Amino acid sequence: MSAAEKMSRRDEMETLLPFYLNGSLEGAELEAVEEWLASDPAALAALGEAEAEFSGTAAANEAIRPPADALSRFTRALDAEAGPARKPAGQSWFAKVFGQLTAMPAGVAWAAAAALLALVLVQSFERPGGKGNDFEVAGAQDDLAKLPFALVKFKADAKMSDIAGFLGQNGLKIAGGPTADGIFHVTVPAETAADYDKLVSLIAAQPFAEAVIQGRKPADGG
Amino acid sequence: MTAATETDRALVDRVAKGDRAAVRLLFMRHHARVYRFVARQTGSEMMADDIANEVFLELWKQAPGFEGRSEVSTWLLGIARFKALSSLRKKKEDWIDDDAAAEIADGADTPEVVTMKEDKAAALRRMINALPEEHRTVIDLAYYHGQSVTEIGEVLDIPVATVKTRMFYARKKLGEALKAAGYDRGWP
Repeated sequence: MSAAEKMSRRDEMETLLPFYLNGSLEGAELEAVEEWLASDPAALAALGEAEAEFSGTAAANEAIRPPADALSRFTRALDAEAGPARKPAGQSWFAKVFGQLTAMPAGVAWAAAAALLALVLVQSFERPGGKGNDFEVAGAQDDLAKLPFALVKFKADAKMSDIAGFLGQNGLKIAGGPTADGIFHVTVPAETAADYDKLVSLIAAQPFAEAVIQGRKPADGG
Repeated sequence: MTAATETDRALVDRVAKGDRAAVRLLFMRHHARVYRFVARQTGSEMMADDIANEVFLELWKQAPGFEGRSEVSTWLLGIARFKALSSLRKKKEDWIDDDAAAEIADGADTPEVVTMKEDKAAALRRMINALPEEHRTVIDLAYYHGQSVTEIGEVLDIPVATVKTRMFYARKKLGEALKAAGYDRGWP
């Protein structure tokens, strides 16, 4: 192989490295890069450089912080949009009770929802033999824009006492919701992606959880 | 329902049926990346805020027509790209890469001095930000948005070969900039 051909091959491999790193390379190109990495001593150093670019690009992008109130503003804009009429979603008591709240302005609705949750919680405390488990509604002291979270929908026959106990025991906080479909934004106290995955799996495994959707993970990305 | 694995496409199907909750879920999943993509395209977080919102309203409107030929994330970035370019044309603004490059060049310190004050990671980040827009965009789409060559072609509406050419020159420029700053990586 001539020097020119070798350079051309090196150029081609360097061009493909970002796609090798992001996992999108396949077929003959993937095989070519893997063969190059296995056979050329310069390839591993090149891979290291591409990894540094990967990190640098992630850092440059992550430095841009979307506004924390983007979702609430989008929701207002969405509500103003016409579209196919949505059937009443929740048949659970959650959905029925909170469905009435969604007609209120967002701030008022959440305050009312939080008050309702607190009321139910207090009632659970007053129940003889109650375990006294507690959970919190995330407050202003929490920087919601940065906290890991998951989106949780509870089953129609979910018992508030079960949910409250579980949330309290695991340091989970309700930070928002419910949506019209009864979905809650729940902050997840995880410092690593692995911890996050563990907690989200734990939520999903609860008998009262109908649906759990991953939201923001801790910064290590997992 | 195993919602932890509910796919973007399944959510788009729900949006197509008029499920507003599903579009909010997609918003929560993808908004930050769309916002950052537009912010990097336009150089304006104010424009990014408006355009990112418009992208998801467009998703609400266009979901019934989504054929699933591309990933939802690619589709959203394509809409974002189109809207960003339209807004820039309306405002008759220039791409910011020249301004960004000029800003670095016009700083009080020479590039060499700036480089001495920062480590390689910080230097690299600065150099990525200073790349011409068309080069920085392919870098962003590949490294940050995880897009394939074909997907980048779809987002930018350019041929696959052009994506590769831009990636080649983007990485070449980064290599040259690093070399000029004393970080020789052996290529180009």
